[in-house]
Amino acid sequence: MPEPIIKLDNVWKTYMLGKVELHALRGVSLEINPGDFVCIMGPSGSGKSTLLNMIGLLDLPTKGKVFVKNKDISKLSEDELSQLRGETIGFIFQEFNLLNHLDAIGNVTLPMVFQGVSHEERQKKAKDILIKVGLGDRIFHQPAELSGGERQRVAIARAFANDPEMVIADEPTGNLDSATGKKIMEILTDFHKKENKTVVVVTHDPNIASYSEKLINIKDGQITVNHQTASNVLWSR
Amino acid sequence: MTILGIVIGVFLIISLLSLSEGIKSTISQQLRALGGETILVMPGDLSNPIAMFMGGAKLEKEDLEAIKRTKGVDKILTMSMQAAVVRYEDEGKTIFMTGLSWKEGIEILEKFQGWTLKEGRWPVPGKREVVIGKQIETGVFEKTIKVGREVVIKGRKFQIVGILNSLGSKQDDSAIYLDINLYQDITGEKRGTAQYAMVKIEDGGDVNKIAESIKEQLGETRKRRAGTDIADFSVITSEKMGDIAGSILNVIQIAIIGFASVAIIVGGIGIMNTMFTSVRERTREIGIMKAIGAKNSSVLLIFLFEAGIIGFLGGVGGTIAGSLFSKVIETYGQVHPLFYFRASITPELLLFGLAFSFFVGCFSGFFPARQAAKLKPVEALRRFE
Repeated sequence: MPEPIIKLDNVWKTYMLGKVELHALRGVSLEINPGDFVCIMGPSGSGKSTLLNMIGLLDLPTKGKVFVKNKDISKLSEDELSQLRGETIGFIFQEFNLLNHLDAIGNVTLPMVFQGVSHEERQKKAKDILIKVGLGDRIFHQPAELSGGERQRVAIARAFANDPEMVIADEPTGNLDSATGKKIMEILTDFHKKENKTVVVVTHDPNIASYSEKLINIKDGQITVNHQTASNVLWSR
Repeated sequence: MTILGIVIGVFLIISLLSLSEGIKSTISQQLRALGGETILVMPGDLSNPIAMFMGGAKLEKEDLEAIKRTKGVDKILTMSMQAAVVRYEDEGKTIFMTGLSWKEGIEILEKFQGWTLKEGRWPVPGKREVVIGKQIETGVFEKTIKVGREVVIKGRKFQIVGILNSLGSKQDDSAIYLDINLYQDITGEKRGTAQYAMVKIEDGGDVNKIAESIKEQLGETRKRRAGTDIADFSVITSEKMGDIAGSILNVIQIAIIGFASVAIIVGGIGIMNTMFTSVRERTREIGIMKAIGAKNSSVLLIFLFEAGIIGFLGGVGGTIAGSLFSKVIETYGQVHPLFYFRASITPELLLFGLAFSFFVGCFSGFFPARQAAKLKPVEALRRFE
């Protein structure tokens, strides 16, 4: 068995709403292994965003443990966690979340700046990735000059900039039309297959879920289905 | 608006420091010119410098005679000055004209003040002749002034008989010098009086004791004449002049540093406010940066640097405005020939202004930057969703 990239062990996340305790996650345990393409599905308020935050090291559990390659993250400082996040995980958001004052290449180089990559190297890598996602002619365009699909491709390029082992995508096609969404998913699948990257996608869309090899259904903060193959998804592409 | 306070603060600091440094060097130059064995006698009380310089008071004939009578006094050079329109070859300019008692005082000027002629000769007392400062030769009129030509002062013709070598200060080099009797003829100043007297003491004399004696003699003369013992004259040795100028400058410096500090504090608060707003508006951006690997220290540095840049921009504005203001004061702000303003704008001063404003910006931005750095990525991303 390969060493899991991320392992959640009986993770609870509780928010206090006044005096009322709200359990967003209730004892969730899961493992994501290298090369997995995992889809997390669930209705609104089911806890899937909270789960994504745990997997992406953006938040810490109230109870339970999160391990990154068997390393307990609760023992890490904020800066160590940022470092680990920057080198291990790439993020793709529904809203693209590009920095509007930076052009495409500026957005893609940013994660490498935080990892201390030299100027020349990050320019070269950023150009290569932008060409790979089909934006070779949009390198110096500002986000405002790009279409939704192009912005999401810049976001994908940024997510892969530091050559992370895992990319997390939160509703990556949520703001795109179906044709553009399909293209985006093809790019993600391509990275997964050709470069053996681990991909975790959160979505409402059963069509998107059909790209995955592993499905996690979550409801009321608990995992209800954790299948190994796409054949277990009830919907077809 | 945010950077206006910094602009004003740095403007005050740059103009204050450049002018006060300039004034200091001018004063030390004047003191060097005065020499250790020379005493300056002026009408008016030094404790009221504005009245002294602007009041138009003079040393009367009796006063000058009293000075001459004082034991230990060797020679005195009397002088008066005022601005007048001087015409040369149909071109008129306002120039400072200084009347000097050549006959008695030329030795003081030559031996103790170091006056030398670049060209020509000294005027013959009583004749309508003038010598000009070095700056007048080429820097005032369109045409270069030549020895032997004439200038017209208040409708009377004077022959230029000499051009002085530089006297070491711009205002001295920009004046016309003539015999005090002729000066008094054309200005209407009473003959035998003077605005100032420069006293050369006898060799080996104690300058402070002789200054005291002059003060006593003048006091008695004035008491007899006006029936009052109010000291409306000042007897100044170079040492005392240095002390007075130093204390005046200190007061001015403290006052301006006070104003500058208030302006800079206001500017700093403005930057802090802007940065807090910026942190709030860019919370999501901070969340994104943290999600893609920015450490707390990176976010802190980004916001500190931005605040520093805001301060720096204010500093650029303040430095330019302060330097221009100092130059304007230097060019047009010649209040009095003895208190000539010179702006000392050095590269070090400009660098200090810019570095200081950058530091003020960073300092003001520290708390907003720290707030940004401490944001939890998940909270920052969730906010403004």
